[in-house]
Amino acid sequence: MSEATVGEGHAALIESSPYGIQSKKLAMWLFIVSDACTFAALLVGYGFLRIGSLNWTKPFDFSPSIINALVMTVILLTSSLTMLAAVGAAKAGNRPRVFRWLGFTMLLGAIFAAMHLREWFKLFSEGWGLQANPMGGDPQFGATFFGVTGLHLLHVVSGVVALAVIALGYSSKRLDANHVETAGLYWHFVDIVWMFVFPLLYLMNMR
Amino acid sequence: MANQEPGMKFNVAIWVGLLVIVAIETVIALQHPPARTLLVSLLCLAFLEAAIGVLYFMHLKYESAKLFWSLIPILLFVLFMMDHVWADAYRMARMSLLK
Repeated sequence: MSEATVGEGHAALIESSPYGIQSKKLAMWLFIVSDACTFAALLVGYGFLRIGSLNWTKPFDFSPSIINALVMTVILLTSSLTMLAAVGAAKAGNRPRVFRWLGFTMLLGAIFAAMHLREWFKLFSEGWGLQANPMGGDPQFGATFFGVTGLHLLHVVSGVVALAVIALGYSSKRLDANHVETAGLYWHFVDIVWMFVFPLLYLMNMR
Repeated sequence: MANQEPGMKFNVAIWVGLLVIVAIETVIALQHPPARTLLVSLLCLAFLEAAIGVLYFMHLKYESAKLFWSLIPILLFVLFMMDHVWADAYRMARMSLLK
């Protein structure tokens, strides 16, 4: 039996999905694949500049930089877990629990973003910039680090906003469990991108 | 590939597994191995984390197999095509050495 994404009157005009999922979920998967290519291109660009450089700077000490990044990683992974709880609650039709778990996910996302911005401002205060290297090495470190982490931070912040919209919409019964699940796909993708950013940009640049 | 989705206990176990992989990555980095060894090991672990995340957190394992085969091979192909720039990066490094 196919799921119609439009109201009953239009059901006869809708073909069944070849993948057995709603259009919005398929659209989110396609967006995720394209966004993965975008991040991959940025990371390959970072790798290209790093290999081509004879004077690459490794600015991160284990304490506090890597420890900070580790805490951020744990926070983001935990937010994926709370997102799963929200999706499970949505499939069970428990609206208060969905709102609560989405709230936890948003809170963890906001904490991640705040920690990230704090780290950025600390680097700025030390003299790091898009083309500035206070340690005297190649200036591309700043461009690649702030570029990659900045794009990821943008995804996290916009994800928090999107989750707020989904939470309010689901609570007021304008949206359903499929919307929550589709938003969950995006949030897990943001977490998975960080699984590459953390080792390649932090651990590879540890002193 | 489409089958029943697991419960929250399984998701927590997956979450713990991902944390363990992050810990392993950090321990490897703290040994300060040669850059190439560190990169290969970190990339392998990162791809393992991504695979676990995509299959279990994003539930691709429980979707239609057609969806998996429509999305993942083309993504891997694009990543493979991007990996042809490294020879030029090494050439750039050699040119810098010659200056």
